[in-house]
Amino acid sequence: MALVAEFDNVTKVYRSASWPRREVRALNGVTLEIKTGEIFGVVGPNRAGKTTLIKVLLSMCRPTDGRVRRLGGPLWDRSTLARVGYVHESQAFPNYLSATQLLEYYGALAFVPGPLARRRGGALLERFGLADRAHEPIRRFSKGMLQRLALAQALINDPVLLVLDEPSEGMDLVARRLLDDVLGERKALGHSAILISHALDEVERRCDRVAVIRDGRAAFVGPVAELATEQGASDSPFARGGLESALAPYYEEALA
Amino acid sequence: MTLSATLRTFVWLARDTFRQARAGGILWILLAISGLATVVCASASIVGDVPLAAPGETPDFLPRNDRDAHDPAKLKSSGVVVASGELRLAFGMIRIPLNRDSHSAVHFLELILAGGVADTLGLLLTLIWTAGFLPGFLDTRAITVLLAKPVPRWSLLIGKYVGVLAFVFANATLFVVGTWLAIGLRTGIWDAAYLYTIVLLVLHFAMFFSVSTLLAVCFRSTVVCVFGSIVFWLLAWSINYGRHALVVASDALSPDGFSSGLSWLTDLVYWVLPKPADMSLLLSHSLSADAHFGQLFDFAKLSASGFSITLSIASSLLFTLAVLVVSARRLAATDY
Repeated sequence: MALVAEFDNVTKVYRSASWPRREVRALNGVTLEIKTGEIFGVVGPNRAGKTTLIKVLLSMCRPTDGRVRRLGGPLWDRSTLARVGYVHESQAFPNYLSATQLLEYYGALAFVPGPLARRRGGALLERFGLADRAHEPIRRFSKGMLQRLALAQALINDPVLLVLDEPSEGMDLVARRLLDDVLGERKALGHSAILISHALDEVERRCDRVAVIRDGRAAFVGPVAELATEQGASDSPFARGGLESALAPYYEEALA
Repeated sequence: MTLSATLRTFVWLARDTFRQARAGGILWILLAISGLATVVCASASIVGDVPLAAPGETPDFLPRNDRDAHDPAKLKSSGVVVASGELRLAFGMIRIPLNRDSHSAVHFLELILAGGVADTLGLLLTLIWTAGFLPGFLDTRAITVLLAKPVPRWSLLIGKYVGVLAFVFANATLFVVGTWLAIGLRTGIWDAAYLYTIVLLVLHFAMFFSVSTLLAVCFRSTVVCVFGSIVFWLLAWSINYGRHALVVASDALSPDGFSSGLSWLTDLVYWVLPKPADMSLLLSHSLSADAHFGQLFDFAKLSASGFSITLSIASSLLFTLAVLVVSARRLAATDY
């Protein structure tokens, strides 16, 4: 099966620009593969390296060591990003744009032809319940509406790989259902998605496989069910069953 | 990335810049300034002037306050004309006596508009008002999704830079063409040299906005961009002015007046940095400013000492290009 993302012993060390020089090892030899057609979850405690993993994959920062391939090509080949959609956890869109203008603008930067971006953008706004506010400046949008717009933006180029960093934060129940539908559709089309989330019930429900990132390492990579089997039931006060119980030991170690 | 994709990216970033300027109110302020200047010019008229020289001839006339100008007999016998007439502004409410003829008055008006309003006040204000565009654009939360697009980082940065230049070009064109048309329609004098100021204004702005761009990439702070680019502008202006002062003064002083080391160092810094005083000098020269104001430097004397406006502009553009390359490389190496 073809791979949409490959991380081979990837390390990322952030070095501060100012004196005194400090180093933060965000990734420490991560090795994992994400296959075509799967919904892949990335979970772990805060500051574990989840977002850095995605940033390396999307060429927002360079790996210090190791090899990363995106959609079968090297990271320097940015043309593969034309087939990637990305939702950032706290995106600040230009608030003077309307939703229609934003989708057209971001579509153009993803090399989507103008007429297609307009047509696709209209359909996405309709689908995400933003059509009646399509021409308003987005500074008047609520957080939930902006999250829906962020998802629409990520889909404007009909990506084969959708990368979602905390996409459901601020979303209401209807929007969460829409997100479920979108992920289901991507999977049915044979496309892939990477989902970073602290909402473990969502990861459990939506993902085929999951990576647990802890201290910059992939502490576990495999099907969600396998993770639960490996760890067994937890009596942790953090755990409320399911994936949460399975992950409790990783979180407790991070807290220790 | 292909050339057409690069151009398309630039067009979209320019469009975004215009939208940002409109939403931030900068577009309306600059439009209001251009509109006001055009109305002022449309309210101008010249009455009662006499031609002081035929085209191509050196003017031969008496100023109106000369003692002989009030002696009709002397004037009649000598055939010398006296400057007369007035420039009326605000539909005749403000009246300024002419020291020369109508062509000279139009040059004077254009010089005030191009050199004073646009090239000094306008340039500084535009530099301040647009200084926030790039730090806001490069902010982590704002640019993250754009960095995940297939367009390279350099094209995002240079596209935004070109967008701001396009915005300044549009406003400079509106200001200069609007006032040129108004003056031409009211006075019948169409001075094409005034239109060159559009190019000079944009070049002048481009040099210093490149410094603002580098500061934005390094610090992502509007305050640093505003103060940094203005301090740099003052520094470059001082070096430019100082170097010419040294060249002109060295003719008047003994050969030992300045050490060769100081001259060499001043020359080096002069050629490396952008040259705002040269831009002002060129602007003044093209609008025949020496007929109205005392000039900082004698253009002919500078030219005789090896000064070349072509080399001056070329080296300033080279500086701009170098700063943009450094900015783009720095952004490409930045971890977000």
